[in-house]
Amino acid sequence: MLIDLDLSDVRPLYQQIVDEVRRAVALGDLGPEEPLPSVRALAMRLRVNPNTVQQAYRELERAGVVYSRRGQGTFAARPDGTDQRALLLRDVAERALKDARRFGFTPHDLAGAVVRAAETEVYDDPSTGA
Amino acid sequence: MTLPSLPVRLDGGELAIATEGLEKRYGPDILALAGLALQVPAGSVYVLAGPNGAGKSTAMKVLLDLVRADRGTAHVCGLRTTADPARVRAHIGYVPEVVETAYGWLTAGAFLAHHAAFYGAWDGGYARELCRRQAVPLHLKVKSLSKGALRRLALVTALAHHPPVLLLDEPTDGLDPLAREDFAALLVDHMTESPTTVLWSTHHVHEADPMADHVGVIAGGRLVLQAPRDLLTTRLRRYRAQVPAAWLGAPGLNGDVLVRESAGREIAWTVWGEEREVAERLQAAGAVVREAVPLSLEDATLALLRAGRAG
Repeated sequence: MLIDLDLSDVRPLYQQIVDEVRRAVALGDLGPEEPLPSVRALAMRLRVNPNTVQQAYRELERAGVVYSRRGQGTFAARPDGTDQRALLLRDVAERALKDARRFGFTPHDLAGAVVRAAETEVYDDPSTGA
Repeated sequence: MTLPSLPVRLDGGELAIATEGLEKRYGPDILALAGLALQVPAGSVYVLAGPNGAGKSTAMKVLLDLVRADRGTAHVCGLRTTADPARVRAHIGYVPEVVETAYGWLTAGAFLAHHAAFYGAWDGGYARELCRRQAVPLHLKVKSLSKGALRRLALVTALAHHPPVLLLDEPTDGLDPLAREDFAALLVDHMTESPTTVLWSTHHVHEADPMADHVGVIAGGRLVLQAPRDLLTTRLRRYRAQVPAAWLGAPGLNGDVLVRESAGREIAWTVWGEEREVAERLQAAGAVVREAVPLSLEDATLALLRAGRAG
């Protein structure tokens, strides 16, 4: 699992860490019972305040995505039936909606544009040979 | 332009550093501190941002009782700084703006040993371990250390007695980007083992940004703003909007605008407020808001300082 942060992102740093871990779980990069990096290791690598990493891990634990074992660290939880991929997709959609509203577009405009953009993208995709 | 009602107090939780009404004058013309009320929550990394001469170094020296304020009070860990300065200093680790080089002929190891004598709680094993992990060569003479290694040595010297409060005065000034990263790594390394309240003064705000829990913007010896870092992200935004020809402005907004820029019919405001509310007020005045983005800590500081100067 590789966690990257973007200082110019609108989300606070702890939220970015939360989202990156959820992404890794949803994509299977972080399987059930697999350990997360220690607070120390992650804070050192990202050069962020250890409090920020702790805040992110607390938030993830509250959401049931990870759990901590005293003295041993933090681990990915077993799936509790929550569809993490669906949650992620909802986040993606909400971000796009927010952006669209800023530019004065309706959700309907956005949905149509996504479908049309996806159609064009297929023609650009080298793997299809088109 | 009048300054919006920006937050300047962090009352509520436990404070590791608290000053009230600090004033310090150097001669008749220089007012270094003009009623400074600094509130650093315990366990926080507090970035004190401001230009040279804003009063950052003087404030730290008052906390250490190296400088006496003309007026006001200062407390560190609940202790009045002027009451028992030696006891207060035992609670503080300090990396000064200028690292002393009078001991250049000592090896780094001997330099540490020299400082150990001043602190009852000095942890020599920990100091050597930090130096080993953070590439400070103990066998080299202090004067032959690179600038970066010298600053890291100064930081280890400040950390070796596990102080609950750390004062960093422009600690990365004059360091190259790699040396700045190494300095931050040493700080993070220490913080994961010993919870420390950090007051970090800098005019290179961007490098302290990923560490900041709280921010104070200082100008002319007083705070323009003092708030949690995340509050800045949510409340301070730059709005870009298109306005009709011969637009009259958004009267409801004036008090909260820090910076206003315009080019033709496009206008950008840097505004303090709830995004939805600000956008609604702009729209009600006939502007079409195109985007609302948070500012980097560096840009936020500049906007606040600019507004402070104009106000």
